[in-house]
Amino acid sequence: MKMKLALLLGKLLYLLGKPFGKSTNLPGELALKICPQMMGNFRFDGKILAVTGSNGKTSTANMIAHILKKQGRSVAHNAKGSNLTGGVATTLLAASTMGGRVKQDFVVLEVDERFSRLIFRDFSPDYLLCTNLFRDQLTRNGNVDVIIEKLHEAIKPSVKLILNGNDPISGNLAPQNERVYYGLSQTEQSSEKCLNITHDAKVCPRCFGRMTYTYYHYNHIGGFQCSKCGYANPQWAYTAENVDFVSGDFTVNGCRVHTDYKDVFNILNTTAAIAACTELGLPLEGCCQAASSFVALKQRYDEFQVGGRRAVMILSKNQNPVSFDQSITHVLEREGEKTVVVFINNINHTGHKDTTWLYDIGFERLLGKVDAIVGTGPRAYDLAVRLKLAGFPPEQIRIERDLSQLKAVVDRTRGDICILTELYDAKSILEVISK
Amino acid sequence: MSKVNILWMYDDLLDLYGDWGNLLAVTKGLDAMGISWEIDHKSLGDQPDFSRYQMVYIGPGKARSLAEAAKDLAGKKQAVLDAVESGVVFLATGNSRLLFGKSFTDAGGQQIPGIGLFDYTGEETGNVFISDVLAHPVFAPETASYGFINRTAHIHGNDRDPLFTVVKGAGDGETAGESHEGNLYRNFFGTWQLGPLLVKNPEILKELLRRLVGEEYRDWNTTAEELALKLTLNEIQ
Repeated sequence: MKMKLALLLGKLLYLLGKPFGKSTNLPGELALKICPQMMGNFRFDGKILAVTGSNGKTSTANMIAHILKKQGRSVAHNAKGSNLTGGVATTLLAASTMGGRVKQDFVVLEVDERFSRLIFRDFSPDYLLCTNLFRDQLTRNGNVDVIIEKLHEAIKPSVKLILNGNDPISGNLAPQNERVYYGLSQTEQSSEKCLNITHDAKVCPRCFGRMTYTYYHYNHIGGFQCSKCGYANPQWAYTAENVDFVSGDFTVNGCRVHTDYKDVFNILNTTAAIAACTELGLPLEGCCQAASSFVALKQRYDEFQVGGRRAVMILSKNQNPVSFDQSITHVLEREGEKTVVVFINNINHTGHKDTTWLYDIGFERLLGKVDAIVGTGPRAYDLAVRLKLAGFPPEQIRIERDLSQLKAVVDRTRGDICILTELYDAKSILEVISK
Repeated sequence: MSKVNILWMYDDLLDLYGDWGNLLAVTKGLDAMGISWEIDHKSLGDQPDFSRYQMVYIGPGKARSLAEAAKDLAGKKQAVLDAVESGVVFLATGNSRLLFGKSFTDAGGQQIPGIGLFDYTGEETGNVFISDVLAHPVFAPETASYGFINRTAHIHGNDRDPLFTVVKGAGDGETAGESHEGNLYRNFFGTWQLGPLLVKNPEILKELLRRLVGEEYRDWNTTAEELALKLTLNEIQ
């Protein structure tokens, strides 16, 4: 009875809120208040795939839904990155019948790694894809070990894992569970040394021995082997290789894939999506073909014009250094003269003044590659110190703490404008810059 | 002193946060003074010769990693205590402080011995606790410093040789009103405060470097650092 009421009111709220874009979390939250066991009461006709990880879970989950739909399958999916309990509950109640039956062929759920154990308290996915695990928002999350503990509480013994064979940390999740790995072979962009500061697998996650790498894709993702216990990249069932970074072509198990987002981070995510869909029973060729037509949400990487200059907004996540390192990679991939604009805020949600995370980001990679770096926001002068210590000459460090005065400073720089910022601050910067 | 030898203990194991910025600040300061330096990395199973080093840095780590470091450091206990007594500069930040107390209990309630440089004990709580800290370093009581605490453990009974008098934010005390934090004993600096501490507080960096290079110390321009600190303090006071 409670379930019926929860579904009825949840669906009603969902329909009412939809025209206003207010229906991603609230309906589910309300329904769970009425029927706390609602998640366990759904009956699924199809398979459930959960997608989690520190970085890339939204685009990977969106890509999976795209591939499945392209091949004519019906999919229920929390497309807007609403990956907490309320968002997942909303997705399920919107997809289900009044009888609580979810008829879609597949349910693809992006889930926050920290909330996974709460989301999957009363039901379990059939498959779980983990893209990677990194230090991320240490003020909220605790460290990687803490996240792994939370994930282990969420992963029931029946779940088949789809894991990144280039990541010693997430690749070691729930060792007793059935699993399949995907990976990207060494590419022409691989490096012998880690180019990033953040490297969460300097020691082996199994035995604390010093980890050795034959190549790095980025951060601790690459070709690894523990010098003590021998833990090394597992055998991959899905191998991405033959990457042409100019055309954006590569192969997965010999089958051609094309992408417009030609960085190894995205290529690994695309491989993950293809691996997941193939595991769900779709043919590899069809998955590769469908993945090739995927267009990412504009939200995280958006190009536009400011006056006569090209500008690009590259979003990274709050205090997530690996995500910021990715943004720097995007800047470096752009040809020609460029200026980088960075907004540095206090810690979101709490307002603490900490800027320790700036020392996890490899700003050094931008040395000699940019006309100037413009810092703005409450902690802009902490960025100035970070850049000074990185070795940038004073004339390349331009600080305007007051966002409303930013445009004049940016106007005095040269080249393409690359705006690196957190999601929360993007809109306000855009308004100022494009005035 | 033609060259400063720095030892970064457990660089691979205790590497939780951007706190290595402290070493970046130290080496940039040495560069400014025209003093050359070298950083050695030593970790589990290594047997560093502490007499070779003028400075030792240990940063914060994950709980499991810290327990491994504690086991390893137990075998180096006397060498470390001797180095501290002989005046080697130490900087221990975040939860690496737990290694230098009597003991600490991990999340499972197991007691892990420290090397006993200080009398305090530690306790892993499993809960993330964060705080901005406005304080005065004991060697410069008129100077205001900023640090950020992000910890899941707590220290009990740290009642001698504090490094800071806390004005605002969390100290080592059992209750909010108690106002000391960290330790300064001989040239051993220990604190929960990140930031990184030495980047964020040029006065603390300079005090540490005075102790590190003695008569060769000379001042250098830290205007940018001072401005960043001032703007932070303005928002907290």
